[in-house]
Amino acid sequence: MTVVPQGNGAGGAPAAGGGSGNLYDVLELVLDRGLVIDAFVRVSLVGIELVKIDARVVVASVDTYLRFAEAANRLDLESGRKAPSQLTDIVEGSVESGAHGKSKGALSGAVEAITESFKGDGDESEDKEYEAEDAERERRPAREKRRERPERRSERRSTRDREE
Amino acid sequence: MSVYVYAITKESHPLDLGDVKGVGDPPGEVRVVRGASLCAVVSECPEDLSVARRDIQAHQDVQERLWADGPTLPLSFGFVAADEEAVRGVLEERAQLFAQRLDELAGRAEFNVKGVLDEDTLVRAVLEQNTQARELNELTRSGGGTYEDRLALGELVSQEVQGRQDALAGEVLAALRPLAEAEKVAPPSHQYFVSASFLLDEDRAEEFNRVGQELAERYGEGVELRLRGPLPPYSFV
Repeated sequence: MTVVPQGNGAGGAPAAGGGSGNLYDVLELVLDRGLVIDAFVRVSLVGIELVKIDARVVVASVDTYLRFAEAANRLDLESGRKAPSQLTDIVEGSVESGAHGKSKGALSGAVEAITESFKGDGDESEDKEYEAEDAERERRPAREKRRERPERRSERRSTRDREE
Repeated sequence: MSVYVYAITKESHPLDLGDVKGVGDPPGEVRVVRGASLCAVVSECPEDLSVARRDIQAHQDVQERLWADGPTLPLSFGFVAADEEAVRGVLEERAQLFAQRLDELAGRAEFNVKGVLDEDTLVRAVLEQNTQARELNELTRSGGGTYEDRLALGELVSQEVQGRQDALAGEVLAALRPLAEAEKVAPPSHQYFVSASFLLDEDRAEEFNRVGQELAERYGEGVELRLRGPLPPYSFV
């Protein structure tokens, strides 16, 4: 079965052996698997949801279809056939950098999120309280809410602007 | 003082921690909490433990260090006990269960395989081999055709790509599965067309790597198989 173009390109060589030097490749094992002991407390795993974004399952949708249509339209079939060795290089490079780039993005994103949630324990509860409160308070100048999130503040400011 | 818990071992484990460092900054001192028949490896829990590379790497380093000397049950990242007493409590309470699992894992290791496909290569193959897809592509690529044509092209390519990924994943699993004592297969995702862990007897590790190598050579460009192992048996605790 010819599933993909055959060849002996280095792109097909597995990163075999060598233990687990690359943390990213074992990330979901460390985070998702491993022994879970319910008598212990697990630290807030807010960031882990972000780390796992890339593990989301593929679903068929209009968006997916349009993306594939675009990918097909974009391909230059002729040049691809004429320069297979060049393609190998590109493929290899893009797979590598693609995966590693993503890993960095996901991981650092998670770090930011968790940092925010650690620093902002007070803020979180304050925000929830705030949301639960009567809209009446919404109109009062909320200067004491200095630690609220910027985007919330600007939203609220624009509400006030309209009112004024 | 709350403690971060890394792993559980039998009392007979050498527990040679060397100079391995724990989570936190500065890194915590890793130490052993001894129960009657089992041990736990812990360190002081830092206040700012986070899902950061630093702490995940430290967690993994401790696991690797311990696992190299004998069977361990690696905890998932991020578990904290109130104090050493609480750790001993769990060691006593579940001693039988843990000991049994440690026996089953003796002489075995986890090997993980992940497969990444280059999407352009795959879409190209679909267009080369599927007449209908090629025609729809010709129709729509210069801005021609209707929205429905684009959707039809996308649906067709998407299905073909999915089918090829599934077939490839099936082949990879079928080739590696006979070597393993147990397996844990994650559903295919955007990132990996196949992602699976296998529990192997240690003397089959070489064969496993060889089969993986052969698969990768057979598939060639556009397919990347990443084999990782031996690893602490995260997926089989």
